[in-house]
Amino acid sequence: MFQVSRQQCEDMMRMAMGTRESSSANPHGNLWPAQKSGANSNSTLEEAFSSLLTGIVCDALANALGRYVLDILASKGLLDDSDNPKQFDRGLQSLFGNGASVLERIVVKDLYRKLSIPYNSDAGFDYEKSLEAAKEVCFVESRLK
Amino acid sequence: MSGGEILSTLLASEVRGDLLILFHKNPGLIDTVDGIARRIGRTTISVISDVRELLQLGLLKQERIGASEVVFLDRAKDREILELVANHLKTVRIGGEN
Repeated sequence: MFQVSRQQCEDMMRMAMGTRESSSANPHGNLWPAQKSGANSNSTLEEAFSSLLTGIVCDALANALGRYVLDILASKGLLDDSDNPKQFDRGLQSLFGNGASVLERIVVKDLYRKLSIPYNSDAGFDYEKSLEAAKEVCFVESRLK
Repeated sequence: MSGGEILSTLLASEVRGDLLILFHKNPGLIDTVDGIARRIGRTTISVISDVRELLQLGLLKQERIGASEVVFLDRAKDREILELVANHLKTVRIGGEN
């Protein structure tokens, strides 16, 4: 019902907030770019991870609370920080209070599902650490390719 | 109930978050509580109180079909609820005060 593609989400963010460059999602539909040699390979991976995360955050918010709410959050600049866990967490806390952690769990669960990482909802939860773990998996996977 | 209170009710637990996602992704879904619990990978006992809260809020409706009590999304009420939430969020500033 509220499914939002990564591209739609990024377009929405650009419309709402201005300038950010388009992501480096590769044309083959893989989550990760093949590992390049040289200094910019890490930043390419960072960008790919950031793009994936932004898409998932948008989907999670739209699916939980609707497209209209997503538009409002984008216009408030919340999604500017979606790849910065500390800032994003602070923004979510100020808007949703205790509900922030529920939204963060939804994001992490979806991210882990996409990356085939097991998720345990009974375990303690730390948004930043969860994203770090996911990023680590992505980096390791891309090096193995 | 204010938009803020509704938002707190909607996001009061991880199960409620899962239920919101399930019904928003499948707005035509009609199932028993057992079936709904299975769909989100949980047990009936762990979802029953959250389903009740969403029934009380009006987001979900319950009806008897044959021998089964089924639950489904009230789309009109859902739109109304999300609009209240959106209007509430418009008034909240990121970083704190209204």
